[in-house]
Amino acid sequence: MPHDSPTLEISLRLPRRGIERLDLLLLSVEALDLNGGEAMVWMSEQMGFTDRFPNRVELWKSRCHNPLRRTTRRGELAAADGDALIRILCALADRLYPVLRGLLSQAEAPEVLVQRWALFQSRLSELVKERMNPRRGGVQKYLNPETCVAECRQLVQSLALASGAGGFERLKASLLDAGS
Amino acid sequence: MKQTLRYDQLSCRLLVEGLPDVSAGQPDDAVGIITSWTLDWAGRPQLEGRKEHLVALMQVVMPYARHRISGVARRFGDATQPVDIGPAEAGEGHLLMLRSSQSDTPPLQIGLDDAELSDLVRVLDLLRMDPRLQLPLAIPVSRPLKLREVLERTPLPQRLAAPLGGALVLAMATAFALMLPSPSALRPNNPPSPPHQPSPRPQGGRFQGPGLDVPRALPKLNPWQR
Repeated sequence: MPHDSPTLEISLRLPRRGIERLDLLLLSVEALDLNGGEAMVWMSEQMGFTDRFPNRVELWKSRCHNPLRRTTRRGELAAADGDALIRILCALADRLYPVLRGLLSQAEAPEVLVQRWALFQSRLSELVKERMNPRRGGVQKYLNPETCVAECRQLVQSLALASGAGGFERLKASLLDAGS
Repeated sequence: MKQTLRYDQLSCRLLVEGLPDVSAGQPDDAVGIITSWTLDWAGRPQLEGRKEHLVALMQVVMPYARHRISGVARRFGDATQPVDIGPAEAGEGHLLMLRSSQSDTPPLQIGLDDAELSDLVRVLDLLRMDPRLQLPLAIPVSRPLKLREVLERTPLPQRLAAPLGGALVLAMATAFALMLPSPSALRPNNPPSPPHQPSPRPQGGRFQGPGLDVPRALPKLNPWQR
């Protein structure tokens, strides 16, 4: 890896898999926070994205570029819209960091951890059932109790590493992975 | 003149002490020269060192976090470097190994869970993005992973399943096709047909073609002849 610059300036459109993962991470935020949908709109306004997402419908429409959704939109997500969604996600992850940390920490009591994970997994699978196309393989792994555990842990770990000062560039680079 | 930068998370605290580089015209609250740093862990020994050690720590932890966010678990650093980090061999978690420059000091191993790794990444992020730190740090830039690197997150048996299954099906189909009798073996009683020879063409009279038996030259009819 080159050591030229500490920041990454990429203005590329997210690939299909990147959009799928970004929407699933936003869905995870909604599973962690019951008011996650409202928080997204509020955060978008706070971060000055009102010209890009003037209302919740526009925010929802941009998320519907995810091909795993029941109602998916044709066309590509604009690079600036993708960047805005990633910035909103990172800010929400930063806000939810204590919750994420509570799920990931091994210092917590095991029975408490089991309950927290069970609650998160049940909320996420409900949201996935409600909004995603259950015939897709990428959706089924979140509905299958055996594979759901590892996938949920990966989502929470990604959110924790996406929070904080350098989270945006790390998450954006991850969503632009080849073949991802 | 001495400045102290402090970054706190729940499980760790990073303190960086340094001085502004007055020769470069830095303000009084800037840090252009790192004199020392300490990293306090809850319930673990304190880490301290010089700038080189801090940079070595960041050079392995930041790419490791970058790969972990993509779901790729691989080791960064090796035995020749002062710091390396990788997934813990037993169970979940991460193993940070620090080697002293003194030969008689054994390496220090620190096991981290996912929350402690996130805390460490956050304090290192805060340090490297702090505008008061006016010092170039050779930290790798976060870049999209190549296909070869992304494939590492899939276990080897799972990666080999599709090509091996395809090769097995092809081999079975070939073996089955070879077991089928050839079409000539189905008619063993048929005498071999003689080689085709062109029939001699009649010089006159009738043309004997396949399915045709017409006179080559029609006889002339005389209606007045009885």
